[in-house]
Amino acid sequence: MRDTIHLVAVYSKTTMRAWFQYRVDAFLKSLAVFLREATGIIVVFFTLLKFDTLGGWNIYEMLFLFSILFLTYGIMIIFFTGLRDFGKTVRDGSFDRFLLRPRGLLFQIIFVNSDWFAALGHGGLGIALFLISAGKAGINWNVQNALYYVFTIAGGVLIQGAIFLFIAVLNIYLLQTDSLKEMLYWNMRKFAGYPISIFHKIIQTLMIYVMPFAFVNYFPAQYLLRKDDMNSYPEIFMYITPIVGIVMYLVAYAFWRFSIRYYKSSGN
Amino acid sequence: MSFIEVSNISKTYKISKRKSGVPGMLANLFVPKYENKEAVKNVSFSIEKGEMVGFVGPNGAGKSTTIKMLSGILYPDTGEINVSGLIPYKQRKEYVSRIGVVFGQKSQLQWDLPVIDSFELLKAIYSIPDDVYKKNLDRYMEMLDMDKFIKQPVRQLSLGQRMRADIAAALLHSPEIVFFDEPTIGVDVVGKDAIRNFIKDLNAEDGVTMIFTTHDMQDIEKTCNRLVIISEGSKIYDGTLDGVRKLHGSSRQLDVYFMNDSEVAEIPDVEIVEVDKRHSQFIFDGKKVHINDLMSHLLGTYNVKDINISEPDIESIIRKIYSREKVAG
Amino acid sequence: MRLSAYYAYAKKQFLSRSAYRFDHLMGILSTCLQFFIFYEIYRTLYGSKESVDGITMSMITTNFVLSLGLSAIFSPNDYFVPGRIWDGSISTELLRPMSFKGRMIAENVGDACFNLIFKFIPVLLIAIFTTGMEKPAGIGNMILFLISAILGYGVLWTISFLVQMTAFWLINIWSLITIKDVFVNVLSGMMIPLWFMPDWMAGVIKFTPFASIYFTPVQIYLGQLSISEIVFKCGVQLFWTVIIYALGNVLWNKGQKKLVVQGG
Repeated sequence: MRDTIHLVAVYSKTTMRAWFQYRVDAFLKSLAVFLREATGIIVVFFTLLKFDTLGGWNIYEMLFLFSILFLTYGIMIIFFTGLRDFGKTVRDGSFDRFLLRPRGLLFQIIFVNSDWFAALGHGGLGIALFLISAGKAGINWNVQNALYYVFTIAGGVLIQGAIFLFIAVLNIYLLQTDSLKEMLYWNMRKFAGYPISIFHKIIQTLMIYVMPFAFVNYFPAQYLLRKDDMNSYPEIFMYITPIVGIVMYLVAYAFWRFSIRYYKSSGN
Repeated sequence: MSFIEVSNISKTYKISKRKSGVPGMLANLFVPKYENKEAVKNVSFSIEKGEMVGFVGPNGAGKSTTIKMLSGILYPDTGEINVSGLIPYKQRKEYVSRIGVVFGQKSQLQWDLPVIDSFELLKAIYSIPDDVYKKNLDRYMEMLDMDKFIKQPVRQLSLGQRMRADIAAALLHSPEIVFFDEPTIGVDVVGKDAIRNFIKDLNAEDGVTMIFTTHDMQDIEKTCNRLVIISEGSKIYDGTLDGVRKLHGSSRQLDVYFMNDSEVAEIPDVEIVEVDKRHSQFIFDGKKVHINDLMSHLLGTYNVKDINISEPDIESIIRKIYSREKVAG
Repeated sequence: MRLSAYYAYAKKQFLSRSAYRFDHLMGILSTCLQFFIFYEIYRTLYGSKESVDGITMSMITTNFVLSLGLSAIFSPNDYFVPGRIWDGSISTELLRPMSFKGRMIAENVGDACFNLIFKFIPVLLIAIFTTGMEKPAGIGNMILFLISAILGYGVLWTISFLVQMTAFWLINIWSLITIKDVFVNVLSGMMIPLWFMPDWMAGVIKFTPFASIYFTPVQIYLGQLSISEIVFKCGVQLFWTVIIYALGNVLWNKGQKKLVVQGG
C-alpha cells in the first residue's frame, strides 16, 4: 500500500514536471480551454439579461447548474485522461508497455497521465461559477447540504468516469471510437448545461437513462434549489447521484475486466 | 526441463475486413467481419538460462508475435509457454517483474523529461531497492557512457543515445530475461557497435538470458551463437550460425565484370543477378554446377574483364532460405 | 496565373473530404443538435409571446439556421499555415511555382463547396421540415444575401489568415485559434441573436468585424435593412476584408523573411 502511494506520488511528480516544461504554453492552453468552455455561459448570461429566466431558472441558478458540470469534469479529467486517450494508447502500442509492467492495468492508465490544461480550464471555470452563484442562488449552506454537495460531486465524477471507461473498453473491440465518443458523450453533454425540462421528451429520456448527465448536475441542483420543474420527475432522482455513479462505475469496471482478456488473446 | 520451454504455440489473428461507404461503415461498427491470419504456426523451442538467441525472419513472419507471447502481452491460441515455472500470460505481474523488454521502435522514456526522471519513475514502478538501483545505474552509466546525456530531455537525444538509455531502462530492475525487438534499427554504425558490445558483455558477466529479433544479420553475427529463423509463422531453422553456413555451404557466388555492355542469357541451375550492364552475379550450388564449366562458358561467350568468386554472405543465404520456403509453402 | 492549378487543388480538397463519411455524418448531427438546443431554449424563453422587441420566434429560428449553416460551410482550415510551419514543409512549399496563398484559398473554397452541398443543404432541409423558418424577404434579398454571405466568408477567412500568421513566431497556436473561435462564436451572433445584446455590448460589437460575418447576411435575408443600409453594411464587410487581409499580409511578408533568416 505504501509502495502504491509512493508510486502515485512519483507519477504525479513526473506529470507535473513534464507540464512545467512548457509553462507559458500550458497557462495559455488552460486559459483557452477556460474561455472555450465559457462560451456557452457567456451566451446564457446575455440571453438572461434580456429574458430574466429560462424555464423558471434565473441567471445565478443557471450558473450554479453549469458550475457542477464543469467542476465534476475538471476533477474527473485529472484521473481519467488515460481513459479519454485510451484509443491512442492502444493504437500506438503504449498499452503493450503497460502489460509489461508489474502493476495493475487500470491503475497505470489512470495515474500515468493527467491533462492539467483541461483540469484547470474546466475546473477553474467550475470554481469561478460556483463562487459567483453559490451565495446568490438562494441555497442554504448548512452542514447537511454541504455534505450532500460533496457526495454528489463525487457521484458526478464517477458517472462521467464510468462513461469514459465504457467507451475506452470499446477500443478493445473497435479500432476507432473517437466519432462514437463524440456522438455519445460530447453531443449529449451539450444539453447538460441547461435545465433538461426545457427539452423534448426524447432528449430528457436520453439524459436520464442513457447518458445520465441529468444526475451529474440537474437533479443535484434541484435538490439544493427546488425549482418547480422538478415536479415532473420522481423525487428519488435527487438523492441517488452517488449510487448511480458507483453502480455505473462498477458495471463499466466489470466490462473492462471481462474485455481485457479479449485484448490479450486478440492483440489488435 | 529447460529454463524457457515453448511447446507447439500457435496464434491466429482476426483481421477485420473493412467495407467502405456509409452502410459499410455502419456494418463495420455493428457486425464486423473478420478474416483469419495465422501469424504463428505450431512453434516449439527451448532456451537455457544464460543463452543468447536471435530470431530472424522477414517482415510479418511472426517473430514479433512470438516475442509478444513470450513476454506475456498475448495469449497463445494453443500450446504452452513455461518460464521457470511461470506462465507469462497468466501470472503477468509476477512474470514481468523478472523480465525486461526493449522495443527499438517504441521508447519507454518520458519524451519531454531528462533521462534520469524516467529512471526514477521505473524505480518506483518496479519497487527497486535503493542499493540495487544505485548499483545498476552506476554500472550502466559507465558501460553505456550515459553521463553526457543523462540530464538531457529525451527529445534532444540522438537515436543511438536514446536506444542506450532505453536499454538501461529495461535493465534497471535486474531482469533475468531481456527481450530486444529490433534494438539497433536506425542507429548509426558506431552506435550499433556500442549496443552490441554492451549486450555481449552483460550476457557474459551476469548470465542474463537474451532474446532478440532483428533484421540486421550483423547483430546476430556479432552477438549470438544461436539463431532461430522464422518464416510465414513457422520455425524453419534452429541452430548455430555456422550451421546455417554449412547447411548452404556449397553455395557459391561469381561476380563477373564485362568489358562492354552485355545482355546475359539464362544458364540452367544458376541464379543471375544483374547489378548493372557491365556487372552480373551468378549464384549457384557448387555440387550441381561445376565451376570450371561455368567459367569457360562465360569466358567463351562474353568479353570478360574480371571475375571474382566468393561464398555468399550470411544475409544472402538467409534470403535464399526464405525464398525457398515460400516456393515450398 | 494558371487558374487550372488552383481549380485542381480545390477539386482535390473537395474529393478528399468525401473519404471521411462517418466524421461527416457526425458533423451534420453536431450542427443539428446545436441548432435544436438553441431552438428549444428560445421556444422556452418566448413561451406564448408573439414577439420580443419586434423579433418573432421565426426570425430567431431563421437567424440560427442561417448562421449555424453558414458557419458549417465556412469553417476555414485554421491549421493550414501553422501545420506546415510546425512540420517544416512550408519552406519547400513556398518554392513551388504558384502562389501559396492562392493555393490556400483554393483548398478552403474546395472545402466550403463540399460543406455547402453535403452539410448546409441537409441541415437546411431538416430545419425547414421541423421548424418554422422564414422565407427570404424577396428575390432581391435572396441575391443580396448570397453576395453578402460571400463577403462574410471573406471577413471570416481573413481573420483566420491573420491569426494563422502568428504561427511564424509562436509555432504552436492552438490556444490562440481557440480563443479566436470564442470571439467569433459569441460576437458574430451565431450563438446569440445580436438583436438581444445589451446596448453597451452592441456598441462594442459595432466596432468589430464579427457582426459582418453572419449577422449582416441574416439581416438582409430577413429584409430588415433598407437598400442604403445594405450598401453600407456590405461596404463595411468589404472594408474589414481588405483591412484584415492587409494586416495579415504584413505579417506574412515578415514571417517569410524570418523563415529565410532561420533557414526554415
